[in-house]
Amino acid sequence: MKAMNVRAFVSIGVFSAISYVLMLLNFPLPAFPNFLLVDFSDVPALVAALLYGPLAGALVELLKNVLNYFLVGSATGVPVGHIANFVAGMTFILPTYYLYRKMTSKKGMMAGLVGGTIVMAVAMSVLNYYIFLPAYTIFLGMPAMSAPEAKALIVSAILPFNAIKGAIITLVFMLLFLRLRPWLQKQTTTNHV
Amino acid sequence: MNKMMLGRYVPGNSMIHRMDPRAKLIVVFFYVGIVFLANNGLTYAILTAFTFALLFLSQVPLSFVLKGLKPILWIMLFTFLMHVFMTKEGYVLYQLGTFTIYEGGVKQGIFISLRFLLFILITTLLTLSTTPIEVTDAVESLFGPLKRFRVPVHELALMMSIALRFIPTLMEETEKIMKAQAARGVDFYGGPLGERMKAIVSLLVPLFIHSFKRAEELAIAMEARGYRGGEGRTKYRLLTWKWIDTCLLVSILILAVILFLLRS
Repeated sequence: MKAMNVRAFVSIGVFSAISYVLMLLNFPLPAFPNFLLVDFSDVPALVAALLYGPLAGALVELLKNVLNYFLVGSATGVPVGHIANFVAGMTFILPTYYLYRKMTSKKGMMAGLVGGTIVMAVAMSVLNYYIFLPAYTIFLGMPAMSAPEAKALIVSAILPFNAIKGAIITLVFMLLFLRLRPWLQKQTTTNHV
Repeated sequence: MNKMMLGRYVPGNSMIHRMDPRAKLIVVFFYVGIVFLANNGLTYAILTAFTFALLFLSQVPLSFVLKGLKPILWIMLFTFLMHVFMTKEGYVLYQLGTFTIYEGGVKQGIFISLRFLLFILITTLLTLSTTPIEVTDAVESLFGPLKRFRVPVHELALMMSIALRFIPTLMEETEKIMKAQAARGVDFYGGPLGERMKAIVSLLVPLFIHSFKRAEELAIAMEARGYRGGEGRTKYRLLTWKWIDTCLLVSILILAVILFLLRS
């Protein structure tokens, strides 16, 4: 962290701001419960990770959620949704980043994003089953979900939702990456941390 | 785009406005924990009275507070109805065919919706009476001891305040780019999915390039002014802990004890 220069953490701050703004432009997918929302706030985090390393990506995800919690608030008081969003972002970004680093090409990016989508969808299903859904029912004071009920919700909503969300972000990021690639490469060679 | 307002700070000079943001943050943090202690009519009444007393002291116009409540109205109604129809406790209040409404369900529904209301009221109160920058300063000060464990508290707070500074600018920029692209025929709100993704990309590319330039300029400006991290940095805004802050902290502790004794 000490080695991180001023430019890097100013950029992380600005990227968190973009991420926050994009998070407000969220929208639900048809046929899914309305607490599952798609937004493109993971895109700036991914760009930050490509430019300044995985820690920068993690910081963008963290700051985005902290700011959203402070400025928008959370109905459960305890920020369960924000923690879930942070974890989802991390499980998407990190695999993408490491796979892309293995193979720095268009194909590598595609493989990374697909890998990230799979890891995120699977990890979020498991974590929802064991942590987030029980946490929600506790904080919302609802009767606890039985295991088959929770499983049904995860298989019918959470798993396909995260897969579709990942696919949408993958497509958008690929389109973006194709245009930003020369610029990104120039930035990484001149401003590397 | 109207809901894209940054924070909801209402300038004022009330007791709550003048309080140390650190005290306010600690109180909100405790409060979120304490709300879960309440589980009967009396404890909820005390908690509600305490919250409304704080609201009254802040002298924030009620219309601002009500605006903050709008987004959770639906979720409140939803949980209320869910409890009314799903919880089967206590005696039967009303029966219509297969629908039965129990007394316990109505009670539980009211309590849980009230809990939501209190959460949102207290956090709204915090954001209405405290500027985001004050919150950042308070966070930096409160997490200061973590510096000993090599957590870069100063840098994190700096990133947060930079983000806060840029959110309104970037919102304006987003709106401008969206309008510019809409004028070129891009449809952001409709059309097939593929077209919409391309529309998003046409927003993201200029947004990234712009903000990257801004970040670069800010970094150069900071370096030119001799920024060298948090060590030995003096501050323009100083936080001062007054007796009234201690009073508020003590009052929330007393509230916690009372709730603990009266809960069933």
